Amino acid sequence: MLNNEFTLSKKSQNFLENLRVYLFSSGKNPKEIEEMIEELEVHLYEAEKKGKPIEKIVGKSPKEYMQMISNEMSIDMRTWFKYICLIVLGSFSFNIIPDLLKGTLSYSVLEIVGHIVIAVIFVAFVLIGFKAISTLERSPIKKGLIFMGISIVPIGLFLGLIFLNEAIATPVIDFGTLGSIITGTILLVFLIGTSLWAKTWVMVIVLALITLPDYLLEQTSLQDEARLITGTLITFGGIAIYLLISAKLEKNKEV
Amino acid sequence: MSSTQMLKGIIDGCILAIIHNKEVYGYELAEKLEEYGFHSFSEGTIYPLLIRMQKEELVTSTLKKSTAGPRRKYYSLTPKGELELQKFMERWHQLESSVNRVLHHESDTGQ
Repeated sequence: MLNNEFTLSKKSQNFLENLRVYLFSSGKNPKEIEEMIEELEVHLYEAEKKGKPIEKIVGKSPKEYMQMISNEMSIDMRTWFKYICLIVLGSFSFNIIPDLLKGTLSYSVLEIVGHIVIAVIFVAFVLIGFKAISTLERSPIKKGLIFMGISIVPIGLFLGLIFLNEAIATPVIDFGTLGSIITGTILLVFLIGTSLWAKTWVMVIVLALITLPDYLLEQTSLQDEARLITGTLITFGGIAIYLLISAKLEKNKEV
Repeated sequence: MSSTQMLKGIIDGCILAIIHNKEVYGYELAEKLEEYGFHSFSEGTIYPLLIRMQKEELVTSTLKKSTAGPRRKYYSLTPKGELELQKFMERWHQLESSVNRVLHHESDTGQ
């Protein structure tokens, strides 16, 4: 952050933000990206102080300039792999933990393979989508459409997988009690570990809000419909409250 | 042919020469190039070049705090970079005299 009275113009700030997203979705090393951004920030800052327009620095097409930088930076496979693992395991835990609360685990081969494939497709879509968004100058409608596409595709694929799983019989792998306990423990360790690493408990909290109400309400004598409604209310109400609180905390941090 | 196309490769050598003379950070380097008369290119083009030179181990960089606020990345030449600069100068002198000879000779007889 620049602590001087002079701040970068909105246009330059936007450009740096877009460049960050572009390089990130091109699979570059996060540390190298930050270094590049910092270097350009210094440059834009000094250039603007002297009244130079951003075009003098990045040329007529910011997109071409972003590509030029991206071409010179090497791809960081380790970071990619890390994010793919995080997303695969993360999406797994949202399926496995509710199932664990119902009893021991058993999945068909198709379900397991399908999940991994969908997660990888999702990551690819996110990367391609964000790259496209970062190069669109000003078009909220197009950006919105891309976001919608990114979120609809995995939902569609998951629905397809559910139908496919019912239509085609593949061998079912039964985890048994011990297998279920081990899987559950690994997932918990993973969830706590990534939350500590990312310094946010959002995944654990959302997961708890999705799974626990159903599980706890099942122990009560409430009727099915009442249980469903209360459960949904607690889940979405809880998530809304959590988002509000964290947004407030974030705002306080900025001041 | 536009001068940007002609500049490719030449600008690399000029960057090496400027860094050789004094440790500089990006903005300084761009200003220097402009002072020397390279007006047509956009200043940001130096960064992809610097990244590549760093990958080829021709230059190294260190981050230094500045009084003006954000940290600056200063570049200096490596021994390999010094060597590359020598080679560039030789190549340039050769090219320069050849081009000059061609232009002198051909424009004399062409008239």
